[in-house]
Amino acid sequence: MNRIAAWTVISLLLVFLIGPFIIILGAALSAGPVMAFPPDGLSLQWFEKVFSIDSFRSSFAISIWLGLCSPLAALILGVPASYAMARYDVRGAELVRLLVSAPIIVPGIIVGLALLRYLVIPTGIGIGLALFLAHTALVLPYAVRVVSASMDNLRADIEEAAVMLGCSRLGAFLRVVLPNIRGGILAAFILGFVTSFNEVPVALFLSGPGITTLPIDMIGYMEITYDPSVAALAALLAALSIAIVFAAERFLGLSRYV
Amino acid sequence: MSSSVFGNRTTGLSLTLPAALFAAALFLVPVAILLSEAFVGPEGGFSLSAYSDFFADPRYRAVFWRTLKLGVLVTLTAAIIGYVAAFAIVSLPPKSRGRIFGLVILPLMISPVARTYAWLVILGRTGIVNETLGLFGIEPIRFLFTETAVFIGLLQLFMPLMIVSLISAMENMPSDAVPAARLLGASWVQVFLRVILPLTREGLVIGGTLVFTGSLTAYITPAILGGSKVLMLETLLYQRVTVARDFASASVIALILILMCFGANLVLRRLATVKRRTAA
Amino acid sequence: MSDYVSLQGLTLTYGDTVAVPALDLEIAKGELICLLGPSGCGKTTTMRAIAGLLNPSSGTITIDGRDVTRVPPSRREVGLVFQSYALFPHLSVYENVAFGLRMKKSPDVDARVREGLATVGLSDFASRMPAELSGGQQQRVALARSLVMQPKVLLLDEPLSNLDARLRLEMRMELQRVQRETGVTMIFVTHDQAEALSLADRIIVMRGGRIEQQGSPEEIYNRPATGFVADFVGFETILPQEDGTALAWRPSAVELGSGPYEGRVQGVSFAGERRDYVLDTQFGQIKADVAAERPAHGIGETVAFDLPRERAVTLERAK
Repeated sequence: MNRIAAWTVISLLLVFLIGPFIIILGAALSAGPVMAFPPDGLSLQWFEKVFSIDSFRSSFAISIWLGLCSPLAALILGVPASYAMARYDVRGAELVRLLVSAPIIVPGIIVGLALLRYLVIPTGIGIGLALFLAHTALVLPYAVRVVSASMDNLRADIEEAAVMLGCSRLGAFLRVVLPNIRGGILAAFILGFVTSFNEVPVALFLSGPGITTLPIDMIGYMEITYDPSVAALAALLAALSIAIVFAAERFLGLSRYV
Repeated sequence: MSSSVFGNRTTGLSLTLPAALFAAALFLVPVAILLSEAFVGPEGGFSLSAYSDFFADPRYRAVFWRTLKLGVLVTLTAAIIGYVAAFAIVSLPPKSRGRIFGLVILPLMISPVARTYAWLVILGRTGIVNETLGLFGIEPIRFLFTETAVFIGLLQLFMPLMIVSLISAMENMPSDAVPAARLLGASWVQVFLRVILPLTREGLVIGGTLVFTGSLTAYITPAILGGSKVLMLETLLYQRVTVARDFASASVIALILILMCFGANLVLRRLATVKRRTAA
Repeated sequence: MSDYVSLQGLTLTYGDTVAVPALDLEIAKGELICLLGPSGCGKTTTMRAIAGLLNPSSGTITIDGRDVTRVPPSRREVGLVFQSYALFPHLSVYENVAFGLRMKKSPDVDARVREGLATVGLSDFASRMPAELSGGQQQRVALARSLVMQPKVLLLDEPLSNLDARLRLEMRMELQRVQRETGVTMIFVTHDQAEALSLADRIIVMRGGRIEQQGSPEEIYNRPATGFVADFVGFETILPQEDGTALAWRPSAVELGSGPYEGRVQGVSFAGERRDYVLDTQFGQIKADVAAERPAHGIGETVAFDLPRERAVTLERAK
């Protein structure tokens, strides 16, 4: 393929993939009362409005909390499991891997509905807790996969060396293994945050009065209003994701783990 | 028995157990109960009536076929565009290749709500497409709440997955395979069918599975761009539960979706291995 | 003091498999011992047991008069240099060497690290990361990391196997120098007879978890006791005798061109000073090395040869 043809193809592709976000940004800057592109004059009023909507503020807080807590919990479960599967001849390791990665394979809406009917209703636990548990399960596969990948690059005998030099077994893990898989753990955390923060299907059924994630709240808002404030919010979210991914790529090389 | 200071299988098992139990309790058990419910008849006991009821309803059948059709169409289109795009990207010098690759995967990290919402702005009645058509005096076309809108939305949502899979397959292709085939007098069509396609089949299968299952199980795109006019299985499931509290149909749809995903996985994987055996 | 390190009835098992059954071994202070044998002979398992990484199912290990059988690895005063060196990738050379001293809260970390690095000639590399070093340098860091702990026994796992020929020679001299200077008792394991012969004071040939033969390199090389050892040190022709013993010849001991036997040349290769022949004979395949200036024989040619009795070694058994 010659260069002109290649760049033509790539430009068209990027217009299709990235173009819509530029249009959102344009629509969000509109001064007019309804969605339009090109915008009727420029203003930041819709960005201001986003911050004045109470429900957005509370659902944003919930999404942030979920995005921080579920990857953390998933890592607490996933790091020991990844470590064990890399280090020990665990009987049924494949089964564990399959079990742990199943939440990716099964459609989220089914997971959400199943948890609502057979966990939330029978046990009476709060929706918020259920949402946290569900997102932890959802993020767990990423945690295990990414941490496993960085464990595979680490030789087992460095722990023996550490033990020979005076570490306890736990000490060897903390002093020698953990520092070397730090990058993988951070990458898993960021990937988990982005996944949880953007997640819709599971949260669809797991929301109740006062407990809604930001994406669900946005969908609800879109159904009743057609003003550019959602565009402003969408633009803000896109910018947030881009900033996180860009920083992660810059400092960690995130794409190595994806 | 001698024992290593690093413990043994039991140690390993006790470290994996929490994650495995969590996934089982939070995921496997509830989903299994949900799926099993589809086999319980109105009077209890085993029954397939929920299935016959579901497929007896022509509206549901239509949703099933539409879901399958859109899934296949999106996957095929993504594969065709994906090959051209991946080939173009791989032909770039490494530095710009990395940058373009980053731009291609960037949308994957952005909220699907935001991604789908953009199409409302573009395809809406006062959206960019209709405004442009209006300049030429053409009546506004209804895009929203059509299969076309859902198709475009899904394509944009999942195409990066196909391109990424194909790029990594192409990068693993011997770099002189295509020039060698060209030197031997193969046309571009022959090069594609006999060299590129067999060598990238694995990537195509992975990408195809991701795009197909993604399209089947997407909720936001059909919900926003299709609405209740263009239901797909996921939106139908949500509607049955929230509007009619019809859990029997929901269980049936859930099982159909899971079977379709696993089926696609199996079929595509089989396709890859069979073709390789005949080629060898 | 010939029992500085003493293994008594040491039995090591993996699951139901007995890797080492009741091993007895005495090692003197300052000795440089080699455990030699093919993979699966129990040499590495034995070394790991001495290190404390593997708990024996029975038997005892004493070091300098102290029973360490149940003592954790770090309190045995034993150092281990891993085959792959096992340097900590996230720590600098300096911090790698300082690791054990810091764990022990040693008061003079800096002085001892500098001394350790000087011993292995890496003083200028203190701030490098392991990934920036060559294989030979990494091994010397691993050596220094063990030595600064002033172990009573230093264990080395295949110390020369990952190095190229030139570095092997260098490292061999280095290890011998370190041993002379520190007087540390060294035990290393290898499957390479050349490595064992060139480095060790005493070689323990192991087979199936048992000691097949032990002795000085000269003894092992010139007077192998069994067919297994003979084969290991290059006796290619082993003929069982009626009384259960066997005779063994190196390829260089076989005489070609005259003698009571005849063989057909199956293969010949030129090796500079000599030619290596493979003969098909009534005793089976026989290898013979002949000085290159002697007349050459072609493939298929029938040649007379002799297996001179005075150049044979008598073995206790053929296997």
